[in-house]
Amino acid sequence: MEVGGSSESPEEPKKGKSRATKKAKESVLKQKSPAEFFAENKNIAGFDNPGKCLYTTVRELVENSLDSAESISELPVIEVTIEEIGKSRFNSMIGLIDRERVDEELYDDYESAKAREKRLAKEARIQEMQAKNAALRKKVKEPAAPKGTKGRGEASFFRVTCKDNGRGMPHDDIPNMFGRVLSGTKYGLKQTRGKFGLGAKMALIWSKMSTGLPIEISSSMRGQNYTSFCRLDIDIHRNIPHIHLHEKRDNKEKWHGAEIQVVIEGNWTTYRSKILHYMRQMAVITPYAQFLFKYVSDAADKNVTIRFARRTDVMPPVPLETKHHPSAVDLLLIKRLIAETSKQNLLQFLQHEFVNIGKSYAERLIGEMGPDFSPKMAVKSLTSQQIVRIHQLFRQAKFDDPSGDCLSPAGEYNLRLGIIKELHPEMVATYSCSPQVFEGHPFIVEAGVSLGGKDVKQGLNIFRFANRIPLLFERGADVVTRTALKRINWNSYKINQTQDKIGVFVSIVSTKIPFKGTGKEYIGDDISEIASAVKVSSIQQCCVQLKSKIVKKIQAREQQERKRNLSKYIPDVTAAIYDVLRETAHQQASKKKKQYEEKDTELLTKVSTRIVTEKTLREKLAQHVEQVDYEMALEYATQSGVSEEPREDIYIRAVEGAYDFIDFHSPVFVFRLFS
Amino acid sequence: MADKKKRRRADPSSDDEEDYGGGGRKPLPFKKRLKADSVILSELKDLTDSFRSSSTSEKTLTLSDLDLSSTCREVCDLDLSSVQDTIERLILRVAQSILSGNGFAFDVPARGNANQLYVPELDRIVLKDKTSLRPYSNASTVRKTTITARILQLVHQLCIKSIHVTKRDLFYTDVKLFQDQTQSDAVLDDVACMLGCTRSSLNVIAAEKGVVVGRLIFSDNGDMIDCTKMGMGGKAIPPNIDRVGDMQSDALFILLVEKDAAYIRLAEDRFYNRFPCIIVTAKGQPDVATRLFLRKMKMELKLPVLALVDSDPYGLKILSVYGCGSKNMSYDSANLTTPDIKWLGIRPSDLDKYKIPEQCRLPMTEQDIKTGKDLLEEDFVKKNPGWVEELTLMVKTKQKAEIQALSSFGFQYLSEVYLPLKLQQKDWL
Repeated sequence: MEVGGSSESPEEPKKGKSRATKKAKESVLKQKSPAEFFAENKNIAGFDNPGKCLYTTVRELVENSLDSAESISELPVIEVTIEEIGKSRFNSMIGLIDRERVDEELYDDYESAKAREKRLAKEARIQEMQAKNAALRKKVKEPAAPKGTKGRGEASFFRVTCKDNGRGMPHDDIPNMFGRVLSGTKYGLKQTRGKFGLGAKMALIWSKMSTGLPIEISSSMRGQNYTSFCRLDIDIHRNIPHIHLHEKRDNKEKWHGAEIQVVIEGNWTTYRSKILHYMRQMAVITPYAQFLFKYVSDAADKNVTIRFARRTDVMPPVPLETKHHPSAVDLLLIKRLIAETSKQNLLQFLQHEFVNIGKSYAERLIGEMGPDFSPKMAVKSLTSQQIVRIHQLFRQAKFDDPSGDCLSPAGEYNLRLGIIKELHPEMVATYSCSPQVFEGHPFIVEAGVSLGGKDVKQGLNIFRFANRIPLLFERGADVVTRTALKRINWNSYKINQTQDKIGVFVSIVSTKIPFKGTGKEYIGDDISEIASAVKVSSIQQCCVQLKSKIVKKIQAREQQERKRNLSKYIPDVTAAIYDVLRETAHQQASKKKKQYEEKDTELLTKVSTRIVTEKTLREKLAQHVEQVDYEMALEYATQSGVSEEPREDIYIRAVEGAYDFIDFHSPVFVFRLFS
Repeated sequence: MADKKKRRRADPSSDDEEDYGGGGRKPLPFKKRLKADSVILSELKDLTDSFRSSSTSEKTLTLSDLDLSSTCREVCDLDLSSVQDTIERLILRVAQSILSGNGFAFDVPARGNANQLYVPELDRIVLKDKTSLRPYSNASTVRKTTITARILQLVHQLCIKSIHVTKRDLFYTDVKLFQDQTQSDAVLDDVACMLGCTRSSLNVIAAEKGVVVGRLIFSDNGDMIDCTKMGMGGKAIPPNIDRVGDMQSDALFILLVEKDAAYIRLAEDRFYNRFPCIIVTAKGQPDVATRLFLRKMKMELKLPVLALVDSDPYGLKILSVYGCGSKNMSYDSANLTTPDIKWLGIRPSDLDKYKIPEQCRLPMTEQDIKTGKDLLEEDFVKKNPGWVEELTLMVKTKQKAEIQALSSFGFQYLSEVYLPLKLQQKDWL
């Protein structure tokens, strides 16, 4: 259990140091299994610290479940449960007896007499401050929970369960699917959710590192009359599964799908909001799925249950596996393709293993390669030099851009419904740009911009999605964040960047998302193709749509508020005018007589005799305002036509039971015809 | 102390320059080229004399002398009672209109860009006579109309009591209505324009901003002020110019400085004692008082004005405000502008000429370059081919430098070498 030992110090540098010292002692050639590599570098798969581990475990399981359900065109129903396990319960689970502390001073969190004095003094001071603040009716933040109570050794453990209605797994494959790192079904060129092909395996490695408990899997496939149950862990050194129990059980409910349960160390307090954000954003981009998220702990007030209901039953098509584009391959990939191809000669190889190379184009390419190439030559006999030549030509030659047909964007319809369902905005606009290309990989950018809504902060709220999974970390450097913050002039669309509740949703799908950084958490801002697609052809398009709505709304509001606004200033303006009149009249009466027109003299006399007062002015002006308002309202009504009835959103649930139907798709709606 | 230092500096035979000066042990670049101060002084004297003789013969043109195709609006100083009278008549008209049930509106001269005109013969910006109606019963103008009425009332009170207040005071009389000072300030200019008087005539002044130091004696509200004896900071330029009079000076020129930092350097080094001059700064964009003061000095003392501004588009812009007026105050440009200001430095061509090191130059931002290009389109730049050349150079090299860039040769390089050399070479445009 070397690995288990190293998990005590999760900081990377420390580990590196210890390894370096070891190296100095013995320089024996060692080999490392992939599982070992990931156990040591778990941060690259998003397992940086216990909190992040909990988060990443949840998301890996959820994403696997979605993929699984979508692959059999089943509307996903996913249940995620995080159950907090207290220390004593955890100990009893692993068969360890709770021991009382005998030698108190041995522990890190032992409080010496001096430290206690200090702490008490500090607490007293804080209390005093609070009392003072309370007396002054100042609003203060809740005092931070004293951190000292939880010591270093006091880890919290969680049982994470994820149940879906997906494809399930073949009984015999289950051990390998979980107990062998870098083995997977998702390798190949297509748009996928998974980022490394690690998924549940990393969760298993982490559970082994932190708790030592095995993973439990129940699974059943469609039409199977049994469920497979498997309890296993992983032999990290050999990268093979270590099976505890593998059996078939009865499947009475005709359930198909998978249920995975893993016990890991985590941190709910610090990653609570991240996990909830993740679930919510997932619900936005996957409105056809139903999620049930539960957090269970001993303290009932900390429990959370959130149901993200299904809002549509139209699923995006399953992304197709595509062939490589010649401009996006490297030497190694060409060699692999050659090794794997079933085609015999070079011509067929070029024609069938790549997109956008037709027969005549392949012939032209072969002609260009040089005299030692011919269309009929056996592709497996190509020398390394010849492969380099092919690679060079691939880089220099001109090819048509790959089409976006292999991609599966969420679709404007779903994005829109997702936004409406989770945020309840006042206004929303969506736009989907046509497929574009970056380094031989097609990509599609879809965007939504919403205004107002429930649980939305003032200012910009940015939601980023890559291949239909939410990105939550490292938002500062991301192309979407930067574009929305710096390059969009919100004012020109009558949107107030600081006051309005703006939701910006950008979903990018591609066969290869150009992530930056090790964590694959953001897309760099330096790719001009993507930056311009995000700005010009998506967010701005949404804003343009919104602008006309906003302008109409402002007009309508002005219409309503005009009278109030005009009346508001009557006292101010009449007071000012009357003051000047009174002074003038006063001077007129007392001192030198100035030459005024007859009616002005008359007015001044009226002012000094108090026939005309401030009130007179006020009434007259109010009358005028009334009249102007009436005229303008009439004008507005004739211009805008029939007054708009208040509208309400309705959603008609799908009919229960199986019917035959035909779907008519449009980017913004689906029309379903039942027979 | 200062006198001793001064005498030493004025000593023409001082070859042991390395002993003092900002550069310390290192000889200051171009210092050797400097002629003796007495030589420079005599040349400057000739120049000032010739300037005086030429300017006396010339009569300053006014708008009425020109036969412009479009009529222009200009304001003049009005005494308090006529301002009061104008307001009263305006308000009477308004009151009549309200009482007859028609609401009311102010007819306010437009001060937007489209209503500005640069007149090359006068070398300043003037306001054309377009006006816009500001009705009360309109959602978009109701607030401004109310503020206008309120300002009129406040100015009326000032006239009756015959006192001065600052713009800030005015704003605080009704913060709730004005919301922020820019609004009351803008309407104040509208009111001045509407009544056809200068802003000073409204008895509203701005806080003191500009300072002056050097060979100048004048009276401020009856007190005689000697600007050589005002310490290092100099004398604050009084906000109402009508209290200023009796200007006397033995200076040879007026040195207009953009920034406080350079001003302090020159004041502390008592540059005006080495070369008799008057040093003025408004610390950035000039306020009305400084502009009025500069014009008054120039007109009464008949001295050439040399400007020392940053080598960036904003430096030139500030120069243009002194020279041709700002668009905001174009209705009073006749009183506010000082014609014939010479651009002494720091000019874009100086950067290479004086070998200002790369690390002291800054790259121009997109915004700078845009401002520079916009300036090239402005008439007041175009009329001076030398300025066009310099500005083109700036936009081309995309480099700017502040006056402080000269400090890279030592803090006193500006006063010890740069300015004397510039004066010696008569290097201004």
